[in-house]
This record gives sequence, C-alpha cells and structure tokens, in this order.
Amino acid sequence: MIGHKTVDNILKELKTDPNIVHWRTIPEKAAHDVPFPHAIDDRLKKALMRRGISSLYTHQADAFQAVMAGNDVVLVTPTASGKTLCYNLPVLETLIEQPEKRALYFFPTKALAQDQKNEMVELIDEIGLPIKSHTYDGDTAGSVRQTIRQSGQIVMTNPDMLHSSILPHHTKWVSLFENLQFIVIDELHTYRGVFGSHVANVIRRLKRICRYYGSHPQFICTSATIANPRTHAEALTGRKMHLIERNGAPSVRKHFLIYNPPVINRQLNIREDESHSVTRLASQFIRNKIQTIVFAKSRLRVELLVSHLQKVNSGLQTHASICAYRGGYLPLERRSIEKGLRSGEIVGVVSTNALELGVDIGQLQVCILTGYPGNMASLWQQAGRAGRRQEDAVVILVASSNPLDQYMAGHVDYFFSRRPEEVRINADNIMIMMEHVKCSAYELPFKNGEKFGEETVDDLCDYLAEEDVLHYQRGKWYWMNDGFPANNISLRSAAQDSFAIIDVTDRGHAKVIGEMDRFGAMTMLYEDAIYIHQGVQYHVDDLDLEERKAYVRKVNVNYYTDSDLAVQLDVLATDKHAECDDPVRHTEKGYGDVAVRALPTVFKKIRFETYENIGWGKINLPELEMHTNAAWISFDPELMNIYGKDTFQGALVGLSHLLRHAAPLYVQCDQSDLSVVPKIKAPHNEKPTIFVYDKYPGGIGLSDRIYSELPNLLDKAREMVESCSCTSGCPSCIGFVNEGKAAKLTLRRLLRER
Amino acid sequence: MSLTKKLQLYRKQLHEQNQLTRPEVSQSTASFEMSESRQNEAIAAAAQLLNAKMNWLDDQYVLVYSEIIPIQKKVGPYTLAELDPAVSAWQSFSPRHPLSACGLQTEELLFFDTETTGLGSGAGQMIFLIGLAHWTRQGVVLNQYFLPGPGHEAAFYHKFLNDTKSLKNLVTFNGKAFDWPRVKTRHQFVRNQVPRLPAFGHFDLLHASRRLWKNRLEAVRLQTIESDILSMERTHDVPGKMAPFLYFRFLKHPDAGLVKGIMEHNRDDVLTLISLYIHLSNKIMGRIGPDLEEKFEIARWNDQIGETDRAQRQWEALVHQPSSFRGRAKLRLAQLYKKQGAYSASLNLLQSAIRDPDVDVGSIYIEAAKLLEHQFKDYRRAQYYTKEALNYLYQGDHRLTEGFQSKEADYLKRLQRLNGRIGEHDRIKRNITRASAKTP
Repeated sequence: MIGHKTVDNILKELKTDPNIVHWRTIPEKAAHDVPFPHAIDDRLKKALMRRGISSLYTHQADAFQAVMAGNDVVLVTPTASGKTLCYNLPVLETLIEQPEKRALYFFPTKALAQDQKNEMVELIDEIGLPIKSHTYDGDTAGSVRQTIRQSGQIVMTNPDMLHSSILPHHTKWVSLFENLQFIVIDELHTYRGVFGSHVANVIRRLKRICRYYGSHPQFICTSATIANPRTHAEALTGRKMHLIERNGAPSVRKHFLIYNPPVINRQLNIREDESHSVTRLASQFIRNKIQTIVFAKSRLRVELLVSHLQKVNSGLQTHASICAYRGGYLPLERRSIEKGLRSGEIVGVVSTNALELGVDIGQLQVCILTGYPGNMASLWQQAGRAGRRQEDAVVILVASSNPLDQYMAGHVDYFFSRRPEEVRINADNIMIMMEHVKCSAYELPFKNGEKFGEETVDDLCDYLAEEDVLHYQRGKWYWMNDGFPANNISLRSAAQDSFAIIDVTDRGHAKVIGEMDRFGAMTMLYEDAIYIHQGVQYHVDDLDLEERKAYVRKVNVNYYTDSDLAVQLDVLATDKHAECDDPVRHTEKGYGDVAVRALPTVFKKIRFETYENIGWGKINLPELEMHTNAAWISFDPELMNIYGKDTFQGALVGLSHLLRHAAPLYVQCDQSDLSVVPKIKAPHNEKPTIFVYDKYPGGIGLSDRIYSELPNLLDKAREMVESCSCTSGCPSCIGFVNEGKAAKLTLRRLLRER
Repeated sequence: MSLTKKLQLYRKQLHEQNQLTRPEVSQSTASFEMSESRQNEAIAAAAQLLNAKMNWLDDQYVLVYSEIIPIQKKVGPYTLAELDPAVSAWQSFSPRHPLSACGLQTEELLFFDTETTGLGSGAGQMIFLIGLAHWTRQGVVLNQYFLPGPGHEAAFYHKFLNDTKSLKNLVTFNGKAFDWPRVKTRHQFVRNQVPRLPAFGHFDLLHASRRLWKNRLEAVRLQTIESDILSMERTHDVPGKMAPFLYFRFLKHPDAGLVKGIMEHNRDDVLTLISLYIHLSNKIMGRIGPDLEEKFEIARWNDQIGETDRAQRQWEALVHQPSSFRGRAKLRLAQLYKKQGAYSASLNLLQSAIRDPDVDVGSIYIEAAKLLEHQFKDYRRAQYYTKEALNYLYQGDHRLTEGFQSKEADYLKRLQRLNGRIGEHDRIKRNITRASAKTP
C-alpha cells in the first residue's frame, strides 16, 4: 500500500458500492454564541476564560437565565454541546452568592458522577473559592461521608444511592435538605420504563423530605433528543418544566450512509451478517489511520468485532490500535482508552451504548452503527460521536436483517424525517408505587390526606396498616416494622421477587452474575435454556424455584433458545375501547388491565444467523400469573371462515411478529419490555385478538401508548410486509409461519383493506 | 383508573410482594380499629399494671416507671454499693483512661439503655423504651420511659430530656454507635417541641469489653458477658430481638403483659451495666487481679492512650515471668524502648523473643532488622534477619495466611535495599583499599 487514503478517497470509492442504499449529506451548522450574561460573577467569568471559554452558546445562556429566574428547566442537548455548563453555571453562581445553598446532582452511573466531579473540581479550582463538591456513592470512604453530609455544597450521586442511603437517613443530611436549591438530573432519557418509574417515585420521596425541611429546590434536567422531553421531565419530577430546545452548538458537515448487506441466500431472503459488513467498512478507515468508532448492541458483538478488526489489521506495519469500550471497565482502564482516543493513539474503538452517555472521549471522524440501535435517540447520540474539528464526518448505518432495519433501509425518507420516540414511565404503577410508599413512610409518617405524586395515598396506607407494615395513630401512618424497606427494592431490576443467576462454570468460584424477575426467569432460565448475559452464552443447568436461583454455565453454541408459552390472557378491566375506522370488518381495539397466566411448555433451539429451528425440549415449570396493562386489537371472527383457519392463524402470528418489531418505533423500549401474543379466540370477546402487554407487573406505560398509536402501528406493519420481496415469509417481515405464502397474502389484504 | 380501584385489582399480587419482604416472626392478623379514647383507656389500664405514671404533654403522654433499687442488691458478683468505691478509686488513678470517672461524683454517672423497633439505623426505626439509672446513697434510681405509640414521641423525649439535664456521663453498651445516633435521629422529628439535645459524652462498655475479652467470647454481647464473665444467669428473660414484635402487638392491643417482659429485660440490662462498669474499673485499676491476657490487653490499651509509663511497668511485669504472653509483651516493650531511644535494650528483647512460642517470629525478625539497619547501620545482620523473616514466611502454611502477599513484598523490598546498601558499602570499602594500596 502506497501512502494513505483520505476520507474523501474512501468516500469516493463507496459512492459506487451497490450496497449503499442511501447517501445523505447533512450540512454543517455554525455556532450561535452570545457574550456572558452580566449576572455572572467576575471570578466565574475569568475562570471560564482561563479555560478557553470566552462566550456561551445560546442554549447555555438561555439555561442560565431560565434557572436564575427560578424555573424548573429541562434542556435537550445533543452529544458534545457543552451541556454541563448549562447546570454548572447557575449552580456555581448561586453558591458564590449564597454559600449556604446546596445542590444535589444525580447521574445514572457512578462513572459519570466521577467524571463530572473531576470537571467541576477543575473549574472550582480555577475560580479559587472553597466550594465543596463531592461524589457520594458506594465508593465514598466512610471517613469523609460525615463531612460530605454536613458541609458538601454540591453532592453528586446516583438514584440508587439516594434511594437506599440518603433518603432513609435524611436526619443525617439536615443541612443539605434545609438548604437544597438545585436538583440536577443528567441524562434524563435514561430514566425510562421500570427504572424510570422507580426513579420518579424516589423523586416523590425526595420532594416530601425537602418539604419537611422547608426547602423547595429547582430541578434542572438534561436529556438526549427524545420526542417528549418536557412531559417526560414533568412525569419524572412532578413539576411544570421550562423547555430549552434551541441548541447553539456548532456541528460539521455529515455524510450519512445506509448500507444494506448483500443477500446471500435468495430462497430464504437471508442477508450477510451485519458484523461482516461492519468489519469490512471499518477496517478501510482504520487501515488509513482515520479514527473510527463502531457501535454494537451487545458485549459479545463488541468483542467479536474487535477481534475481527484486529485480525484484519494485523498485517499492517504500523499496527493500528483497536480496542473495546464497554460498561464494567475500571476507571483506570476507561481513562487510558479515553486518553488514547483523544491523543490519536487509538484509531478504532468498538463500543456498546456505554459511550452514548456523556463520557468525554473527544470526537472521532467516522461512526459505524451495527444495526439500527432500536430508537432514534440512541441513533443520533451515537452518530453525534462523529464530527471533529473542521473535517467532514461520516456516519454509516449497517442494517441488520430484522424487519425494522430492513424497513428503515427501504424507507429512507421516513427514516430521516422520524422524530425520536417518546420515553414512557408509569410512576403510578401500583406495584412500584406501593414499595416506595413504604420507603417514604419509613422516612416520614404520612398524614391523613397527604399526597404522594398526584393522588392521596390513604387507601394504600390503610392497606399497609392491615399488612402490619404501618401503624395508624392520630391522623398519621407510622412505619412500624423492624425491616428497612429500601433494602428490598432495587431500582434497576424488575419485580422484587427476583431470581439470582449464578455462574457455576468454575465450581470453586460460583458467582452471581445477575438477577431476573420470576416471569423472566421462567421464560428464559428454564433448564437447558441458553441464556445470554451481556453477550456471553450460558447453559442453564438448574432452576431452583424455591431458593430463587438459576445455575448457569458458560458455553459456546451457535443457537439460542426461545420458549413457547401457553399464555392465557384474561381482561380484568377495560379502560379504553374503540371501534377502528372500519365498520365492515368490525376491527376493534382496547386497553386495560389483564391477568396473564403463562405456562412454559416447550422451547426451541434456533440457529443464530438463519433463525432455523434446530431442535426442541420440554419445560417443566408451574404456571405463573401476572397482572399488567395491555393493548389489544380484535378482528371479526368471520375472517377465519373467509381465509381458512390455518391461513388466518398464520397471518395473525405474522402480524404479531411485525408488531413486536414495529412497536419500538412509537415508544422507546427494548423488545423485551413488551410481549405480543396472538389469540385465535380471546376469552373476553371470543374474537381473534392480538395482545401487546407490558412485561412488568402493573405496567410501565408502554401498552397505553401502543393503544393510541395502533392505527399508525398497523400502517407501519402493512408497509413492512408490502415492501419485503420474499414470497412466503422471512425474518424481515412476518417470520416463518405455517402456510407462509397464503398467510402473507392474507395479511397483506387484511392490512390493506383495513 | 383510580389508585383505589388499582389497589382492589392488585391486592393479591401486592400481598405476595409484601410477603417476600416480611419478617419471619408471624404476627396476629386479626386487627380492629380502636378509637383514640378506648386506646387511651387501655393504655391507662396497662400503665397501672406496670406501675407506671402517665405523663402528659398537651395531648400526648409517656409512661414513666420509677423504682429505687436497694444499694445492697447484688448484680452478678457485686452489690450496687460497690460502685462508689470504684469511682473513688478512679480519683487517684489516671484521668486519661476512657473509663476514668476522675473528677466525677458517683451520682453523676448515668447508666443508659434503649429498646428500638428494629436494628436498622434509618429514620424509620423508633426508640420505644429508654432505661436510665443513677446511683445515690439511698439506692439506685431507675427511670424507664415507655412510648405508648408513635404519635407520642414529643412527650416521650420532652420528659426524658427534662429529667436528665446532662448527658455528659452516660454509661452504655455500644451507645455511641447504636443508642445515641437513634436518639439523635428521632429527636430530629420532634426538635421543635422538645428541649435541645445536650452534649453527649460517654463510657462505652462494649469497647472496653471488646478490648479485654474479644478472644475468649464468641461474640462480645451483653448477654454473653453476663454469663461468661460475670457468671450471671437470667431466668424468664424476653430475648431482645423479640422486643419489636411484642411492641407492635402492644400498639394494636395495649396489654401490659406484652411489654412487661421487655421492661424487665431493659431494667436488667441497665443494672448489668453498673455491675460491668465496677468489674471493668476494678480490672483496669488492678483492684482485682486481671489474668494474663487481661493484663496484656490493659497494658496495650494504656500504651495506646499515651499512658506510657504505666504500660511500660505492665509490659515489664509480663516480660519477667514466663507465660504465654511473654513474647508478645517483649515485642511491645521493645517497640516502646525503641521509641525512647533505648536501642540496645530493644534489640536484646527482640533477640530473646525469637524463642518465645507466642509470637509471629517473622515480625520479630523484621523489627530487629529495622533496628539494625536504621539505628546500628549493621546491614549484614539486618540482611540476615530479613532472610530469616522470609524463610519463616515460606515455612508451613504461612503462605495461606492473610496478608502474606503484602508481607512478602515488604520483606523482599527490604532485602533488596539492604543488598544494595551492602554492595555500595563494599564498593566504597574496595575503593578505599585500592586507594590505600596505590599509595606507596
């Protein structure tokens, strides 16, 4: 090889690549600067100037004004747009003027809090005032905890710590709670689903305690681009929010390419595995010393890609350094990778979404996404990692073969015009809320008629008194139990009835690698299941229902397992119901509470690349029951006679497959957060029905959204099935179903004539 | 859907969720609402049976039980009267000792113990019983404050704090880490209605007991000390861990029988504190003969609090008679000598300790090596002892002991440094020899 190719050279070559299905150039954006607001203290101004900041982006100035005016603020900030200043400026300004005030920051991870603290300390040093800023988490030494509790002005922590340590011991934090002026919530969009619903309740508890101590802190939230930053922030904090969306940070010109891997099996319509395509594309850039970041969805993928890339590049004289970056690394490892990236020593990095969060690695020139990351917010967060200095940035999305990716690859205009999804929580999920009412009662007794969130919780307290957890006396419910309720609740795991997953690969050193709720355990951790934990495959040796333990062992096989559940769905209460637009076909939709009773029966072994069924086994587990929320769509039973039972059933199963993949288009969730179950005869209305339910007891607000988006969701399903070129079903449309050809035709008619 | 309706729908699942986090002790499930006035009547009746007074603050009240216990009463090996001579003895002993009552009247010591609704330290655990005793010539005055319900905490702390103006001389068993933080936590909730918390100072008998007896007791708990150290026996005692559940039941059905046992338990604990304080004081001041291990630990304690002279005398006494603590005493004494600059005496002691069976010979060798290297500049002998320390470390199953790796690294580093010094030393010597050889 003579000399190096430049980005332009490589782009020119890619222009003729037939697999590039779309090429879009996004023009650069100039910075919108404004001078420092007058209200900023001179010392702070000078400190910023010494750090090379001589003006503010408009959104930073807007945030400063809005916060200083006393608003609760939510900011939408893309990657690398200087968001920390948006909250640090008003907080520091306030602390300079009123040193007795306090600020509480919380970040989704310890690592982020640590990063932010370091940055804060540097800025404070530059100001030259003794402002005390600390992290407070599991790593904080016992000896400094008391000092932080009494005199820390800025305390940086995470919601878990707030939940299990700070709030239950609020009497030790009196000076913080009496003087709390700001609560900063960074990475707001990560608080979604079960986790977000828990955190919303933790915030309710926090607000109760502040009220008790007479403070009324302002909230400052920052979020990646999502569809509903204001409503999400309001749902999470229970406050009316001032939204700042206008962003003044500059961006460079971006080339956005969509690459669809070639079809390698015409009959089954199977495409080349996206990892291969990614390796090929990435090594072109890396070989020419162009800094590239590759995103992959799982740790397994990350490790595989790194080893492929290293192999490809091993022949080179100048061995380009390529490394993996994912959660779970020690701070020192992370620092050295981040440093290597900034200095250019590391040319290629393969990452899970760990780098989506605000970790500072500087910016790279090329970003390659292994498959659509599942939601637009992540997509733009990841794409934002490309774009350094004056050079053009390149973003390549390599589509996988699942229906959603293929749909995106085929409908680029839709893709680019897509607004990011909504983030949903359900703070009033009764299972979650009940646990936090307990914690909150532990912290402060509930008064008669007192609200927790929007509603009074007298009934819940009465119930807890009946359960011998609270004791009612003189208009108040007191905690009267020898337990510590926060201990039983993990904000990040689903139900509290959780199973420990124990790795016994090394007999002498069995260790717990994770936990899972009962429902998940029985559908994913049955004996002989292949359980994938953070990209590593495990074989389940034994599931102990009494002890709530699953024993697993590392294996390396080329299949995964999928359980068949005999699922009974009973509608307990219908909250919403409507006829769909079509009076002839009597299609109707509903939303409400359902009881899901599931009996795992058999499991299938499915080959990774091709999704072929290569074996099966029996599952011997008892039935389990869960109450949750569901949305459903029911069809006229007459259709079965028209199309034939088998064909219609195939169409129904196919539609379920499509809905499962299309659902994340409307609500930000993982596929595993929702379940889609077709029933040829639903017990509540005796009609062919597809249920979409939240896979968490009590629901987390996903199916509610699905209900209102059902017409759009069905349109999307129609487009997906229409645009797929296969004849009798493939992974990219309805999957492999009985009577595939007829089923697909039927489904197309069904959806078209809808 | 309203929360109430949700609650109906999810009752069964919520109950199951609760069951998962429930304590194992079952409680009465039949509950009925009692009106405020009926509740008060029932508590008044219970108070009568408990011989307690109801003490009102506005609409709240606290039950106070008072008793004067005759001074001749025997608690374990001592009568309560013996507290006075023990306190007197402190007057002429070291004021620096953590248990010292020097400058105090016997009457000023406050023996203090609480019962709580749980062992946790969070905001939600309450103290429902405080037992407090002080000595007088007429007898030991015991006051117990019992919280009749969570809504009465203001009255509870109000009475307790008004009765006890000073809390500077509390005698507790783990009070610093357990009882007092809980008092502080709960006081937060009623701080606007009750007196401020006075400054807290105290004698922690857990700490002292741990120092003296941690090796001989399975767990350093008050009950174990009673049986194994003070040879006491409690009959019909309500175990402390049952207290919360009995109390919870009392709240629903105020029946004196449920809490009578807890109050007696608390009374016994407070009296044991008096006996234990006398016992510890006597041991520390040598008023009764401490055994060898106690002597060793008392000397170590004195050393740590800066009572060096006393410690030195105690080490020397231990060194002069053969015992299973002799080697360890030698090591300690050698360290003390070293601090005083008596290096030869220190080295001699260390060398003689090598043959004692009760020491970690490795650390003796290292101590000797340190002295030789830094004080005597005798690198070769320092090197020899360091090698011996390493040999010892590699013997038997020392490899498996905790701290092996850091010790090994430490020893090797020392050895390397010594090797270097010897090399350097030799080189200089050679140069000198060569230089002197050249001169005719």
